Amino acid sequence: MAQELKSINLVAPAFKGINTEDSPLAQDPSFAEIADNAVIDKRGRIAARKGHSVITTDKTALGSGTIRAIKEFERSSGSNVVLSVGNNKIFTGTTTLTDATPGSYTITADNWKIVNFNDKAYLFQDSHAPLVYDGTSVVRLDSVSGAAGVVQGNEVLSAYGRLWVTGLSTSPSTVYWSDLLIGHDYSGGTSGSIDISKVWPDGYDEIVGLAAHNGLLIIFGKHSIVVYEGAEAPATMALADTVAGVGCVDRDTIQYTGTDVLFLSHTGLKSFGRTIQEKSLPLSSLSGNITKDIISALQTENTFFRSAYSPEEGFYLLTFVGQDNTYCFDVRGTTENGSYRVTRWPSTGFSCYTRLDNGDFYIGTSNGISQYTGYQDNGLGYRFKYYSPSLTFGDSARIKILKKLKPTLVGANNATVFMKWAYDFKGTYATAEFTVGDQITGFFGESEYTTVEFTGGALTNQRSLNATGYGTSVVVGLEAEIDGSQLSLQEINVMALIGKLL
Amino acid sequence: MSFWDDLADALGLGSASNLGGAAATAAGLALAKRGYEDIGDIGSQAYREMAGPDGLAQELRGMLEFQPYTVTTATGGQFGMTQDPTTGQMTYQMQMSPEEQALQQQLLSQAQQMYGQAAVPVAEREQQVFDRMMTAMSPSQERERLELEQRLAAQGRLGTQTAAFGGTPEALTLAKAQEEARNTAMLNAMQFAGQEQMRQAQLGQGMLSGSYIPQAQLIAGLQPGMTGAEQRRASLSEQARTYGETYATGLEALLQAGLGQAGIAGGFGTQLASSALGGLFKQQT
Repeated sequence: MAQELKSINLVAPAFKGINTEDSPLAQDPSFAEIADNAVIDKRGRIAARKGHSVITTDKTALGSGTIRAIKEFERSSGSNVVLSVGNNKIFTGTTTLTDATPGSYTITADNWKIVNFNDKAYLFQDSHAPLVYDGTSVVRLDSVSGAAGVVQGNEVLSAYGRLWVTGLSTSPSTVYWSDLLIGHDYSGGTSGSIDISKVWPDGYDEIVGLAAHNGLLIIFGKHSIVVYEGAEAPATMALADTVAGVGCVDRDTIQYTGTDVLFLSHTGLKSFGRTIQEKSLPLSSLSGNITKDIISALQTENTFFRSAYSPEEGFYLLTFVGQDNTYCFDVRGTTENGSYRVTRWPSTGFSCYTRLDNGDFYIGTSNGISQYTGYQDNGLGYRFKYYSPSLTFGDSARIKILKKLKPTLVGANNATVFMKWAYDFKGTYATAEFTVGDQITGFFGESEYTTVEFTGGALTNQRSLNATGYGTSVVVGLEAEIDGSQLSLQEINVMALIGKLL
Repeated sequence: MSFWDDLADALGLGSASNLGGAAATAAGLALAKRGYEDIGDIGSQAYREMAGPDGLAQELRGMLEFQPYTVTTATGGQFGMTQDPTTGQMTYQMQMSPEEQALQQQLLSQAQQMYGQAAVPVAEREQQVFDRMMTAMSPSQERERLELEQRLAAQGRLGTQTAAFGGTPEALTLAKAQEEARNTAMLNAMQFAGQEQMRQAQLGQGMLSGSYIPQAQLIAGLQPGMTGAEQRRASLSEQARTYGETYATGLEALLQAGLGQAGIAGGFGTQLASSALGGLFKQQT
């Protein structure tokens, strides 16, 4: 007697992002085992990320180097300038990277931190004399008229009318602040410093980064956090809180989301607000679904960490530059365990980011400066991947015989799609390939139904693919070459026969 | 030859022709001579009785000679006046009692000590006073410092350094307060040292003055004794004066009587001789 096909519908698969922490068998199919080059789109579906369009047309000054930092210098006149660094140089401009490195100034690294402050841009990097850009030229900060007591820090923060500098190798627990509105004076007026070596809750730590939030000065150590309140008047600011056991890995992982501060700790991505609420309890990491992956990545990273927050895209990007691996955290919501939904962007070549004042999102690569837009990476396609966790369809003891896979895709115009499946945790996937043709958003695929009184609709594509093989657990995957069109995975309908007990 | 002899010779009383009248004249002259000579004797006697070696003056001198005396105060001090019997040199002796002398020595010694202290350079004393004040203030200042340190530590601000305040504003405030206290202590020390120096000088002066009080009191104590001695001397003087006056009055009466007798004899003789000489000269004319 023929058995009835059982339909198992994976609606909005992976809309909770990657989860490599829980047992594959016990996982919710809303998670993904792999979600590469993906984001969570505006409807909560997993979708292909945007590509990057290279703006730079003349990267002669960059040579074979890579852009390592980008910052928009915002001037009161409104004519903003994009500053970037790479190949041991400092550039201005986007289409043409103009070398603005001061004469007779030797740069040996590109790990600059650039901040805007009082109509100037300040550049700080360890073991380098700080630089300042006034809209015309980049000069040494200590050469500015009136400069005094300039410190060579690795971290700089522009907040509360001052520059805050720290990360000196000779005094790793000291924060220096400039005179009010004078970024080049560190020994006059209301400038000063604070040595917090006696404040660390764990007895010893070194300052990694700084942040300002809600009138607080947040000092991130490697494995602890110290918070001062009343930083508007630094001479009288007082300790407000300390957090032991949670620190920051790198200054460039700190990002403001408007209501909170995100940073990467040794146990994963953290929220300052939640960390303060929960003190040192590392239970609720924002990267709780990929904790081991993050820890492994940060332990092996030996180049740079870069991060960015885009309210327009709704994500926080964290890039391990040396590994060419980026995690994309969707900050619009969290899963049940309090973690952000996360996807992965591997091998993108993205080396730094910045969000412009107008909302544009710029990316630094070896090609210069790019904009996060379109669905090509510098004119080339890239591979979107989705793999489900192992699915047992509620009965891990019975054999499942896949008959059909029916993915529903949104977009994916002209994309080549590979539907994959495998049984019993084996890495050998069977593949069914299909090409989404040139679609027209209209009834019957006719263009006349897309205009005038007819609505445009959305490009959707449903396919029914025959599947083969059997096993007790199934992994379903979908890969697509993104080359100009967006792709969202609406659902995958799996038609299977439930076989005998093993 | 006396005046009277020369006078008789000039009158020719020795010639025989004038025997009757001459006799009367001679008798008169003799009487007058006798009266004249008696006056001289009286004068000599008066001189002898008044200024002679055993006369009135000598006797009064003995009566008015200095009488040595000694005054002893109630506290044992003594004042004495003596005269060397040989040279007549007067000697005045003033001697306080041993207790008074001891007190005087003590006060003099203390006065010397006070003057010595007052003469110490004031800067040295100022430093001493200032050090003692700072020693007294140190515990409270240390407590204030520790309190601030604890507060700053609790606020995580121990390592604060500012261009405007040096450290924290609170630390500067405390430092200023302590420095003001230090300055105040310094000024107070200077003021105190000056006042102390003045007080020591005043004490020295008081002790020096006090050391002479026994002596002054001794001198003051002499007054009644001296008054008694003076009264006695005045009494003796009055007695001598009365004696002298009485003696002189008696002597004067005696001399007046003698002068009267001599005057009578002289007058009678003169009259007699005049009468006799009157008759004589009348006959010849």
